[in-house]
Formats: sequence, C-alpha cells, structure tokens
Amino acid sequence: MLDGNEAAAYGARLSRVEVIGVFPITPQTELANRLARFVADGELKAKYVTVESEHAAMSICAGASAAGARVFTASCSQGIAYMEEVLWMVPGHRLPVVMAICNRSIAIPGGIRATHNDSLLQRDNGWIQIYCENSQEVLDMCIQSYRIAENEGVYLPTMFCLDGFSVTHTAIPVQIPDQSEVDRFLPPYKHRYVHLDPENFDQEIVYGVEEEGETELRYQVEEAMTNAKKVIKAVDAEFCDRFGRRYDGLVEKYRCEDAEAVLVTMGSITGTAREVVDKLREDGERVGLVKLRAFRPFPTEELREVAREVEAIGFVDRNFSHGSAGGGIGYIETARALYHLKRQPQLLGFVVGIGGRDVTPADIKYMYRRVLEASKTGETDGEAEWIQLRA
Amino acid sequence: MDSAEGVRIMAKLDQPEFDVAVLQLPGHPCCPGCAGPIVSKLILRALGKNVIFFGTGGCGGWTAKKVPCFSLHFSGVGTGAAGIASALEMRGREDIQVVSFAGDGGTSDIGLAKLSACAERGDNILHFCCDNEGYMNTGIQKSHLTPYGAWTSTTPVGKATRKKDMPMIMAYHYIPYVATATVAYTEDFIRKSRKAASIRGFKYIHVLQPCPTGWRYPPDRTVEMSRLAVQTRMWNLYEIENGTVRVTLKPRPRPVTDYLSLQGRFAHLRKERVEEIQARADDDWKRLEWLDGRNMWTPWVS
Repeated sequence: MLDGNEAAAYGARLSRVEVIGVFPITPQTELANRLARFVADGELKAKYVTVESEHAAMSICAGASAAGARVFTASCSQGIAYMEEVLWMVPGHRLPVVMAICNRSIAIPGGIRATHNDSLLQRDNGWIQIYCENSQEVLDMCIQSYRIAENEGVYLPTMFCLDGFSVTHTAIPVQIPDQSEVDRFLPPYKHRYVHLDPENFDQEIVYGVEEEGETELRYQVEEAMTNAKKVIKAVDAEFCDRFGRRYDGLVEKYRCEDAEAVLVTMGSITGTAREVVDKLREDGERVGLVKLRAFRPFPTEELREVAREVEAIGFVDRNFSHGSAGGGIGYIETARALYHLKRQPQLLGFVVGIGGRDVTPADIKYMYRRVLEASKTGETDGEAEWIQLRA
Repeated sequence: MDSAEGVRIMAKLDQPEFDVAVLQLPGHPCCPGCAGPIVSKLILRALGKNVIFFGTGGCGGWTAKKVPCFSLHFSGVGTGAAGIASALEMRGREDIQVVSFAGDGGTSDIGLAKLSACAERGDNILHFCCDNEGYMNTGIQKSHLTPYGAWTSTTPVGKATRKKDMPMIMAYHYIPYVATATVAYTEDFIRKSRKAASIRGFKYIHVLQPCPTGWRYPPDRTVEMSRLAVQTRMWNLYEIENGTVRVTLKPRPRPVTDYLSLQGRFAHLRKERVEEIQARADDDWKRLEWLDGRNMWTPWVS
C-alpha cells in the first residue's frame, strides 16, 4: 500500500535521480521526507539539497540538469507561484527536469486541498503536464516522465500532477516494479546538447539568446510540444509492454463506445466518475468518460475524435479562470479545439471541487444529467456552471 | 613589502597566471571604463580553464569567455551554481571549480536568502560579489550596497543609510573563506581567488568594482578609483580564513575626500556628511585592525 507521495518518492528512486532540490509544503511534505530517508539510508544515491525556497529548488534542478544530472523536485500551490520565475527558464534551456505537483489551492482563503490552478498556472511556458488518477499512475508516470522529458525530440521539463490529499494521502495497493526492469526501460541521462563541461567545450559564446532569436526559440519549444504528443503515446505503449500497465497516452477513453454524452475529467475525480458511468450504463444511459491525462501538450486531436462521435461533452474543471471566456481552463481550451469541426457537439463547462471540496457521485450524476439533456435537446446556454455552490 | 602606498602583507604569486587571451575573447558589451571585464579577466587569470561559470544579472560580467557559462535569472544567485556543483559531486568531478558571480544587488538584496542558503549548506562554490554599489545597468538605482550619502536615481538627495557589511555577514555563516578585493590590486585578487578555489565548501570574495557611469567619474580613472578606495580606507582589503582575520594591505591613510571629491555621486555632500563618512571609515579601520590576527568567531582569544 502506497499513498501518492510515497509512490512519487518510489518513482524518483527507481528513476535513479541524482540531484534533488526540494522545499517542504503541505501536502507534499511526506514525499520530501521519504526521499530524504531514501538518501540517508543509502537506498538512493543522490545529492539531496535542502533549499530555502521553491525558487531555489528549481534553480538547483536547472543547474544540476545543465551539468548532466537527472533531477527531481516536488511542490504545489504557493510554492509553484514562488517558483514561477525559474519555471519559465527551464523549458527555454531545454532541460528535462521532472517535478511532481501535489495540486493544492493557491492563496485566499489558504486551503490546502486540491484545485488545479497551481499547475495550470504553468500551462503557457513549455512544461509538459500529466494528471494522475491514483498512486499507481503516479509511480508509473514519474518513471515515464523521465523518458518523455529526456527524449531528443522533446527535451522539455515534465510535471506529473497528483491531487492533494485525495491522491497524495490516499493509500492503495501499488505494484513497485523491479529496479532492473526500470533500468532497462530508462537508460542513464545524457543530454545531447546541453552539458556544462570544461573539457568538452569548444563554443565561444556569451550566455543568452539575443532578443531577435526569441521567436525561433519559442517556436522550437512549440515543435517539441508537438513531438511530445507522439512520444507520450510511444513511451506509454513501451511501458505497457514491459510492465503490463497502460494509460493510453494523452487521453484515456472509458466506456465511450456508442456514448452520446461524455464528461472529461482530470486527476482524482476520474476514479469516482468511472463508478458513476458504470452505474448509469447499468441504467441504460449511453454515457462515457474521457480522462484527460496530458493537459500540455493539449490533446486537441483526441478530443476532436471524441466530438465526432458524441452529441454532448461536459468538461469538469477543478480550476477557474476569473473573467475569462467561461468558467474553467479546460472548457475554454476544449471549445477552441472543437471550433473548427463541421459538426459541433454541445459543449458544457462545470467548475467543481474548488478548494478540494469533495466531488461526490451525486455531483457527477448531476453533471451527466446536464450533458444528457443537452445531447437530447441539442441546446446549451453556453455558460459555464459553478456547481456545489452553497447559499 | 613597504611601498609608498603602505605595507603590503601579501606574498608574490607562486605560480604563473593563466593566459587570459586563451580564455576570453576580446571586447565586451560594457560601458567604457567598466571594471567588470577586469574582474572577469582576473578570475580567469587566477583559476584557468577548469571552471564553470554561473552568473546572474549584473552588467559587468558579460564578457565572452571560452569556458562553460550558465545563467538562470537575476534572483537565482549562487543556487544555480550549487546545482551545478551538486551534479559534479555526483559525477566525481569536484576538481572543477564552480564560480558564481553576481552584482551587489543580486548578492545583497534579491539573492541574499539564496546566497545565505548556499553558505549554510556549504555548497562547493566560489561566489564573487561584483560590487559597483548600485543597480547600474537599469539606470543607477540604489542597492543595499550603495554607500552612505551617494546619489543614485532612487536616492536623489543621497542615500540615508549605510552599506551593508556583506563580507562580515558571510563570515558569520561560518564558512571557510571570505575575502575582499578590488581591481587595482591584481596580485592580491589572484592570490585570494586561488586560495579560495583550493578550499572545499562555500567561499566568498567581495570585489569593489568601480563604475564610471554610476559613480560619475571619467572612464579612464577606474583603476585609480579602485586604488583610492583602499588608500582612503573606504574599502579595506582582508581575508578571513576559518574565522581568522588577516588584513592584506595596510595603507598609509589618506582622507576620504581624496576619494569622494573625484566622484559626481558625492558632489552634493555637505561638510558634516563628509566628516561623518570619515569618522565611520576610521571606526571601520579600527575594528578591522583590532580583529587582525584574531579569530572573529572567538574574538576574546587573542
């Protein structure tokens, strides 16, 4: 039995990370503590740097990655906000840093449970983002993240996200793969281009990219993101061959065959939604579930495929974007992804589970009822709906 | 050596310097007369090729070096270097010296917590504070290392508070080596850099780096300004090895006005202010003289 924090720590250990820079923040602390114990007990040969802030944690990771070490960190919430300056540096340097984000609300009123705004805050800067449903997926995605990030066609940092408490502190039976198997799956890290080494240094450079090159630099990151779509799928398939577990790449479709209405979920809500789908299917409702795993790169094609086959889609956002085109960020992105389709399904947006408020089967049933209605009437009011609001 | 300048304590260099022409490209993007490229050259002359540079912000450091350089952001002082050093430790390559450099703003203001953490952890890096006493490349704004009384864009009537004593702040992190230096005393600079590099752990060298643009003096007087700072005891040269203080140059004192009067940033100072500055310089020297030869961690033991 491992909870999400322990699973992430085991994932990092199995990935043979060499430098860890980590600053404690609830609900990530047990992850940080566990890694410290691994290093202290000699079970993980790594340099564990006790930094004074998250900003420093990512700076340590960036420096160490550029100097040839496989690195790991974990944070969330205010920690991610504080780290943000450095988070923008890492993709530009094309450093394959891997980070766990134990999703937690940001700022007022100071909640410590899951909202996805901390990781989604980083959706524009070139970080790959994978959202995990449970501890097993956390462990597996930690290992997969290194394969994705260190792929030559990608070389982008990767974060895998686990919901605070509902994943970080919820223990389930987890299979821990053999080290030798992981070693065969994940070879030692060696960056093809970035290596700070006085002996192999023949460039005469002043650090930095001149402003004139910024457009091209960013375009290259964009291309790497596009490549990452294929790589995420390929790595997942190879992982399945070796370890027997698969997650279907960017999105997992659950009981979507002949569905007329589907919900799209991210993270731990997915587990509850699966059960609700099973129940509704028993009742004869044609509903399905799309688990969105990669938010970056965004699975535009995969969502279009779903949209071609259903009458209505509801996006379940555990996040908000105040004053935006509508509700949560997933809903907005999906609207753009589907805009160019000739035949548009109905699209609904739900803001739910903010501040870690439990998303119950009743809440999910309610959302399914709303998408089923839309699938039948062919109408929506086009407004995102905040559900669970209390008077 | 007893010269016209005063008593020089330092021994001559025991090893030849490295050829800077091999390590650094000619030219630089700094203002004419900037001391930054001199600092950069002196570090290379001292340490040679087996180094990795990590620098943040600061206008003086951007010379084209033929050694690996890495940078992250202005506020990441020391920490990126600590990351590099951590990777080298895991690779068993601790023979490579990681050099961290930042300006006075980076070191004493926005990056102070970072640097303090590096010192506390004992990260194996050598940090140079390239102190030109202000945020010069953003247009001469005050930093915590701007001296008392100096004009800057954000202290238009002169800075009302004193310069932080960064070397002493770092020395009380109980690190193995702290030193001060400046560009006019090149042998002193090089010897201290080499000594620092020979020690494992976190080392700190604070370099006074005159800035003609921000200090308001003609660009051909940079080295003179550096020398005058020492001779007027506005900048004292010493080192602290495992707590033991050693003054490395005891100048024959000249009045601070010899230094202040050449710089436009002090032109507005009234007589009382100048007297105040003189009194503080005298006090600083007395304190340093008292500490000379003592261990500042146990100063009651003489």
